[in-house]
Amino acid sequence: MLNKNHPLQSKSEVILRNIVVTAMIIYFIVFLIIPIGTAFVGSFHEWNPLSGTFRLLGLDNYRKIFTDNLFWKSLSNTIVFSFVVIIFRVGFGLAIALAIYSKMIKHKSFFRMLYYMPVVTPMVAVAYVWKFMYHPQIGTMNQIFGLNVNWLMNSKMALPAIMLMTIWKDFGYAVVMFMAGLYSLPKDAMEAADVDGASPWQKFRYITIPLLKPMILFVVITSIIAYIQAYVQVLILTEGGPGTSTFLSSYIIFDEAFVKYNFGFASAMSFIMFVVTAVLTWLSFRVTRSKG
Amino acid sequence: MRKKVNSFLLRIILLILGLIVVYPFIWMLSSSFKNNSEINALKQTLLPKVFTLNNYLNMNEHFDFVRFFINSILVAVTVTIIVAYTSTICGYVLCKYKFKGRKLLFGFILATMMIPWCVIIIPKYSMMKVFGWMDSYKAIIIPAMFSGFGIFMMKQNSENIPDEIIEAAKIDGANALQIFHRIIFPMSRNGIASISIFQFLWTWDDFLWPYLVIQSKDKQLLSVGLRMFNGQYATDYGALFAATAISIIPVLVIYMIFQKQFIAGIAASAVKG
Amino acid sequence: MRSKMKYFLTVAMIFVTLSTGCGRTKESNSVKVDVPTKPFGSTIVYDPAKEINDGKKITIELWEWGSDETFQKLIDGYTSIHPNVTIKLVSNPWDDYWTKLPLALQDKNGPVIFNIHNSYHENIINYCAPYEISVEDLEKDFNDIKPHVKDGKVYYIDFGIMTGSVYYNKAMWKAAGLADNDIPKTWDEFRNVAKKLTIKDGKHIVQAGINFNTEFYQTYLLGLNYQLGQNLFSENGKTATINTPAMKKVMNMLLDIYNVDGSGSKDFGTSGSESFGQGQSAMTLMWGHYKETLQNDYPDIDYGVFEIPSFDEKPYAYNRYNGESTFGINKNSSKEAQAVAQDVIKYFLANDEILKEFNLARCTFPTKKSLTDDSDILAHPAMSVLAEHIDRYIWPGPMPAVVEESLKIAGQDIMYNGSDIETALQKAENSINEELKSSDFTAVENLYKYAKQKK
Repeated sequence: MLNKNHPLQSKSEVILRNIVVTAMIIYFIVFLIIPIGTAFVGSFHEWNPLSGTFRLLGLDNYRKIFTDNLFWKSLSNTIVFSFVVIIFRVGFGLAIALAIYSKMIKHKSFFRMLYYMPVVTPMVAVAYVWKFMYHPQIGTMNQIFGLNVNWLMNSKMALPAIMLMTIWKDFGYAVVMFMAGLYSLPKDAMEAADVDGASPWQKFRYITIPLLKPMILFVVITSIIAYIQAYVQVLILTEGGPGTSTFLSSYIIFDEAFVKYNFGFASAMSFIMFVVTAVLTWLSFRVTRSKG
Repeated sequence: MRKKVNSFLLRIILLILGLIVVYPFIWMLSSSFKNNSEINALKQTLLPKVFTLNNYLNMNEHFDFVRFFINSILVAVTVTIIVAYTSTICGYVLCKYKFKGRKLLFGFILATMMIPWCVIIIPKYSMMKVFGWMDSYKAIIIPAMFSGFGIFMMKQNSENIPDEIIEAAKIDGANALQIFHRIIFPMSRNGIASISIFQFLWTWDDFLWPYLVIQSKDKQLLSVGLRMFNGQYATDYGALFAATAISIIPVLVIYMIFQKQFIAGIAASAVKG
Repeated sequence: MRSKMKYFLTVAMIFVTLSTGCGRTKESNSVKVDVPTKPFGSTIVYDPAKEINDGKKITIELWEWGSDETFQKLIDGYTSIHPNVTIKLVSNPWDDYWTKLPLALQDKNGPVIFNIHNSYHENIINYCAPYEISVEDLEKDFNDIKPHVKDGKVYYIDFGIMTGSVYYNKAMWKAAGLADNDIPKTWDEFRNVAKKLTIKDGKHIVQAGINFNTEFYQTYLLGLNYQLGQNLFSENGKTATINTPAMKKVMNMLLDIYNVDGSGSKDFGTSGSESFGQGQSAMTLMWGHYKETLQNDYPDIDYGVFEIPSFDEKPYAYNRYNGESTFGINKNSSKEAQAVAQDVIKYFLANDEILKEFNLARCTFPTKKSLTDDSDILAHPAMSVLAEHIDRYIWPGPMPAVVEESLKIAGQDIMYNGSDIETALQKAENSINEELKSSDFTAVENLYKYAKQKK
């Protein structure tokens, strides 16, 4: 276990290391491995904490999911929602970060502050403000643009309306992340390019983007994880309506678990979501790698 | 000359975008000074026709805003301090100490970031009941003591600390804990600033977990309080906007103070992801 | 200098007197309860002289969802007799209440007394302790006890029944040139009135005659079917019958009110309750609890109430009603706490004054026999409109929440998503029946007084 040759391993360091590693392992076992195990076992059971039921069902929960149209509809909503929001979050984020970073802009920290404001506002609060802004008669959206759209009760507009709010709230995060990425770019690469007389576009395409790639990947992956789990927006803005137009997977899971108390069924759905997250994360790794 | 025009244009674009971003805030802030009949009126104006402070003064009438606010600050600060510390020490150990299974452990920690809340929330909830932590801040603080994201970031951050510094301290007779507290910790301040801001934000914003585990009204947190408030007094929008306006302030202030370190910290860690 | 000092002192004195004075009047207002010393009640009798918990101090929690004032009156009344008992009132908004209550009840420290709504019957009933009062005694004092008896015991009953009535804005009524005798009796008359109450600016609605956005499934879809002689559940009470000609007729009428009459719009106002409160819609069909909303959120609206219109003069039933339930007692809480809870229930059920208070606050019609012709109850506009035909309202039983949920989705699919009525209703019927399979629910439509007259 010990590597005696390594310079950084004194007695006190071994003790510190053992304490820290043990604490970490205990924590992850208690608060992650055991819950995941329980949920996995539970997903094969009829599990209702209210009536105290815990009855083996085998694969029934999973079978039920595969025939449940609403689940698949919500899953496709979730994927569309995540995809669109991530594209805009990364796109806006990158464009604005580059703009603020460029030499032409003064007051950089002012702009960073400005765009970060929605990020630090609680989602619950943001959602209520936007719900009011989307009101068909007295909402700001219709008043300003002179429209007459019932944003949240129109099956074509409701999901985009939720997306718009989410993009507004979250793209500032990407701005700051990309700014951080730009600050840490090696200066010499840029200077070399300047000497070679590279155009701004060439610099962007061949130097900035490749060097920023790990950061882009990081933002994309954290976004995938976050958006697949999104539900507060729906809970407050539409409650899934009109009809079932804005059901997102996590909203269904919340509903099954803490409204209907079908813990088993909810756990089974959660595992499917876990698999979806893993696949999408793996895909984004693949896409970035193949491009480079 | 062309450069000047470009620069001007870019600034205008950024300002317009910025205006779009802050407009909902301006609208909310201005509405918080309107009375409810004006908020609900068909003809809307951006600025209040009749300026009133009542929404702020009467906020506590409907729900114990001050208490929720203090609770939230208390919990978020505690969690943030703990997570900043555990992340730094775990990240440091994972980065600088070599041992078997280190890569495996780190890989596992990365993987934990991918697990959706819905998978573990049900068993975690049952667990809190078994432990008897329901309706206590233990249920919020203890399960949040370690953060996969934080450990990951601080491990990357520790890569920037040269081994020589640690060596030198060791030769001076410092033990591992002294080295960590006196050298590593101060040197990681950028990383600590960024993980602190992230963590504070998440805890401040977290809705579902406190909603489930905290039952007493006097222990409730702000994000849940805002929703309870809306559930019960569905149309006292004025008070809701006033409460929201105030609830944004602490995070904004913290961000403003640590903005530089925050960005430097991210730059030093996640980029090499 | 001196005069300044004097001036300051005077002001301070006035201020102190004022503030203490205000404080005192407020206090005396809330404790203005005559402490009864003699036993009261009809069959169920409460004796205030009997000590509770041997006179020792005890604190219990009472959970409810938002009529704090009436509950506080109950608590104040009870604790004035038994000062050794402290009852802590915990109030949650409706949605949160039903997420948190079942979870809280599993704990020893959960609430001892909690308000019940029968739509969440199945989530709660396993945590309830039976009432100590006998079923015979309850039946002597209250109507409609039978549906609540389970194995010879009662876990909660209804203190009043609630149903839907039409709320109308008096100022708009007058402005449209309508008089008191224009109150509609049939849906055709109602639609005419709604048209008159609608104001348009070109194509845009400025004031809707009627608004049922959001609440339509509770107030129309689940209820008007009875006017057409159609039950919601099959004969054996185990499956739902949603996709029926009656339900289609109701749905079509709703669509016609908006699309043919133009007396409102699915896109005008997010909900009937809000739009009526904002003074943008002239009428809305709401259940009794709406009175509280108007009082809390829209105190400026001057409104009147009339009975729900019907398709013909003699409907099978005017509407569905639902009981407002008494409180449950947590069987997991300590013996002492449960004993106090039983005593509170007895105090509540024996006390006509407080029952009247609860019924008036919720706009429910009392089930207590001694209150059915009470003059205060009949003087109340929302209740007087119910009095005449009160036996013509039908209770389907404690419908699980999925019934409303599915009809909400069906209705929104029809109104907003362009789905056809047949498909949407069939889908709702299927999903309700799927849930009912794993439920203990049995409809009690057959217990309705005029069940035999069904068409």
